[in-house]
Amino acid sequence: MPLYRCIIPKDSLDYDQRQEIAEAFTNVHCGISAAPRSFVHVWFIESGDGDRVKDSHGDGFLDYKTDYYIAGGNRAGRPPEVRQEILVGLIEKFCEISGVDSKDVSGHISEGPASWTMEAGHVLPEPGEEPAEWYEHATIPG
Amino acid sequence: MIDFLCTVQEGCIPENMREELESAIEKTSISILGSAKGPFSISWSEIPRDFGFRGGKPTTTSHVRGQIPDGCDSETRERLMKEIGERWYDITGQTEDELIVAARDEGWKGNTITIS
Repeated sequence: MPLYRCIIPKDSLDYDQRQEIAEAFTNVHCGISAAPRSFVHVWFIESGDGDRVKDSHGDGFLDYKTDYYIAGGNRAGRPPEVRQEILVGLIEKFCEISGVDSKDVSGHISEGPASWTMEAGHVLPEPGEEPAEWYEHATIPG
Repeated sequence: MIDFLCTVQEGCIPENMREELESAIEKTSISILGSAKGPFSISWSEIPRDFGFRGGKPTTTSHVRGQIPDGCDSETRERLMKEIGERWYDITGQTEDELIVAARDEGWKGNTITIS
């Protein structure tokens, strides 16, 4: 965690754009939160007309009306204004790098208790309670 | 109901390994949560090569995300995630650093904020 899924039309972004967006999302998230950089996951999911993208909330599928959509999942415990700041930052960077108009991009961030996720063999700490050794993972590749 | 979604990066988890992984995750879940918490289901999703990133770089990390019945205590949930992890490492050869396991309550609403 966090995991940011970018739902995009087929062939709309090339590798360089995807990599740059992933890097920018990492900067946005780590600039606001305390997460190590290697804990920021970004996926790009190409979607065509009529495709539905599975989600773990609501009726089991993402519900969105724009061509591009950013679906985020974070650890619970941050104030709403912080999550809003993260989401605004992600959308700004996405538009800047992709050249997509902001009216064509929407998104959400949902959250779950940190203790419901295990990463690198350890249950995640709550935001603000990260032990010093957690940051050793900042340099993990992959 | 126990429902898992395994999302893997293209080229990292061969197709012929997935049946064994499904069986291991099902057995672990039923063993720890109890058969009365079923039925059990599992599905797969594959992220194409160069479409998944971690820390801004292409990733090999697998995600095993489950929804389990509400009310699981923290010790049981942790044991479930850790044992699924152990089985995954054994079968795939992936390391701790290449796996994320999550087990959330099925009734959790997500406390979502949206920009539309």
